[in-house]
Amino acid sequence: MTSPDDLPPRAPDGPADTRAPADAEVPWQRLHPLSVWAGAAATGAALVPAAIVGTIVLVVMGQYPWAFLPLPGAIAFLTLVTYLDLMRLRATRYRVTDERMEVRSGIVAKSYRSIPRERVRSVDVAAPLFVRLFGLCSVTVGTGEKVGAGGSDQLQLVYVTAAQGEDLRRDLLNRRGARRTGPEAATDAAGPTGDARTEEAAGEVELARLVPAWLAYAPATAATLGVGLGAIAALLGLNSQTGGVGWDWVSGRLGLPTPEEMSSFVMARLLAVVPLSLLALLVSGVVVLTLAAVETWWNYRLTREPDGTVRLRRGLLTSVSLSVEERRLNGVTLHEPFVLRSVGGADVRAVATGLSAADEKKTSAKSRLSPGMPVARARALAAALMREEDSPLDVPLTAHPRSALRRRFTRAGVATVLGASAAAALAWAHGLANETWWEHAIRAEQEFAPIPLATPVLRTTPAWGWAVLAVAFGVAAFWYALGSYRGLGHGLHPRYLVVRQGMAARDTVTLERSAVIGWRITRSPFQRWAGLADVAATTAAGSGMYAATDVGLGQGLAWADAAVPGLLEPFLVREGEEADGRAPESREPEGGGSRDR
Amino acid sequence: MSSDAPRLRPPHHRVDRRAVWWWTTRSLATTVVLTVVPVVPALIWAPPRPWFLLAAAVIGGLGLLITVVMPQWRYRVHRWEVTDTAVYTSSGWIWQEWRVAPMSRIQTVDTARGPLQRAFGLSSVTVTTASAAGPIEIAGLDHTVATEVAERLTETTQATPGDAT
Repeated sequence: MTSPDDLPPRAPDGPADTRAPADAEVPWQRLHPLSVWAGAAATGAALVPAAIVGTIVLVVMGQYPWAFLPLPGAIAFLTLVTYLDLMRLRATRYRVTDERMEVRSGIVAKSYRSIPRERVRSVDVAAPLFVRLFGLCSVTVGTGEKVGAGGSDQLQLVYVTAAQGEDLRRDLLNRRGARRTGPEAATDAAGPTGDARTEEAAGEVELARLVPAWLAYAPATAATLGVGLGAIAALLGLNSQTGGVGWDWVSGRLGLPTPEEMSSFVMARLLAVVPLSLLALLVSGVVVLTLAAVETWWNYRLTREPDGTVRLRRGLLTSVSLSVEERRLNGVTLHEPFVLRSVGGADVRAVATGLSAADEKKTSAKSRLSPGMPVARARALAAALMREEDSPLDVPLTAHPRSALRRRFTRAGVATVLGASAAAALAWAHGLANETWWEHAIRAEQEFAPIPLATPVLRTTPAWGWAVLAVAFGVAAFWYALGSYRGLGHGLHPRYLVVRQGMAARDTVTLERSAVIGWRITRSPFQRWAGLADVAATTAAGSGMYAATDVGLGQGLAWADAAVPGLLEPFLVREGEEADGRAPESREPEGGGSRDR
Repeated sequence: MSSDAPRLRPPHHRVDRRAVWWWTTRSLATTVVLTVVPVVPALIWAPPRPWFLLAAAVIGGLGLLITVVMPQWRYRVHRWEVTDTAVYTSSGWIWQEWRVAPMSRIQTVDTARGPLQRAFGLSSVTVTTASAAGPIEIAGLDHTVATEVAERLTETTQATPGDAT
């Protein structure tokens, strides 16, 4: 119904000039005209070769009338897209005044968005290769405010020149002009280490720079085998799409035996098959992931700029520069996925306002401040980001009650039972399958792979193999439960609160205590029986909520109370005190409401 | 941190008594709609009729049970309180939830009333903070109380400087 005046930073409708006559002389800027051609070139680079290939295929197949379709079609489509893009370009204007950043856009539905500059939390300058060739870049401005229901909290300019992008990055987060408003804010940002400020005056401070050896951490993910599978499946798919031409060509060149010969050769040495195929998956996964990491993290530099921002630069083909106002960097996440953790690696993510993207996954991808690096280095980087001598990550964490472990063991037990039932069902089905069925299955696999391996291996698996599988699954479930319990923890640092959880991916989150904007305590029926609760601090930063999961209710409340003194206090009763568990009935809320006044 | 374990006390105020009727009506309406869904094919399609009727009976029975139990239970657990420093609510009849938001971090306060709530003279107050964790909602307040609460919250939050993040 009503809202504080400092809210939605969005003008109702109509031009800005009426509301801010003082800004009238600041000229509106356009997107760069080349951006249309950059977009067209990128689309064309993908579309035209595809159309040419299509034409050739149709000619080869003898479908002459159809052969004249792909190329003109592609060109017509390209023209249409380029035309629409041209309209968009003409309609879009932006400007940055002393007070606000304003963007007008829209061909049919005109839109005008205006945000106060002090609301700008992050500026993301990205230049994919095809855009960089034209000397352009895209700029995404994060405001840390959801505008409208489900609306984005970002303003995006696609594309401006690299110089314009650099100007925007520098200007939008530069509070020097507006510093008058909050000298205390500036001191806040500098934190307790006053000497860091003198250092800052000298220029940018480098927090981290890529050590190429870190790229070796890139394949250390649980997905490596999967990515390898994907890479090999893509190759095999291409092979079967072309009717096996590729395989015939390769085997002809290398003088390999025919698929049938190889198949019988391999099946005779079954013990070698499984490790070898795993190795093949592993190698292809490692190659793909390392290449991806090189693309993402090449030229990686993390610096603290003199204007009070933290700036991330990275990228080989798509170069990215992300600036986050340091005051809005409310904490960090030390992210340790299982495989990376077991080889002593971790990466650092930001807990900041203005980095949120469309969904949780994109948000966390955008928040990444470092590639996988040695865990000691990651901890040092986190401490440097938080400007703390004694890192909040080194705070001893309190373990959660034993009942949290029991809960996890119960879950593991249920999973084990389900796994055992599934294994039994599979073993039963395995026993039922007859020769003709296997023949079909092998022929089906032959469609995809030149040498069918999976089905023959499955066929020769003895019945006790399923039992082994069930037992292994059960052991893994309980081991996971134990690790998951060990991962739980919460603690307090003079300026930060710390929570840790997770087994598959262990996240240690530090969040500035001053950034906590509320508490949310939840209990499921199961947690109620176990005397546990999830105590979550809500915040504007990061994912919006950071929870101490399965903490003892009293323990968690005491922690929350200590983290933000005074907030929870009025609503707590101590066990020792005369506990009036039931609140006084108030049938008439009016009476209560007026009393509070 | 003191050694004795603290507990949360329930917020002082209950929602309006009429909310029970509001919840009952709403639950009943949902039950009726869900029960009718399998009845329609049962009317036009003879062979599997008993099965559809059975499904309708099960859905209807469960729905009625929920309609009888839920509103009373919810009335007991839905509580709210506004102090000078914070908004405090509790809710959830199976999955319990307590929310606390300090006055200084409240961004917007809205009152809203659907047609059904209006029929019972009720309103909901929604308190939004900058967190993505979602707003705090107090549903089923007497309309005048809701307006008062919203006004009071708005006054207090407007008096607080800063952008509440």
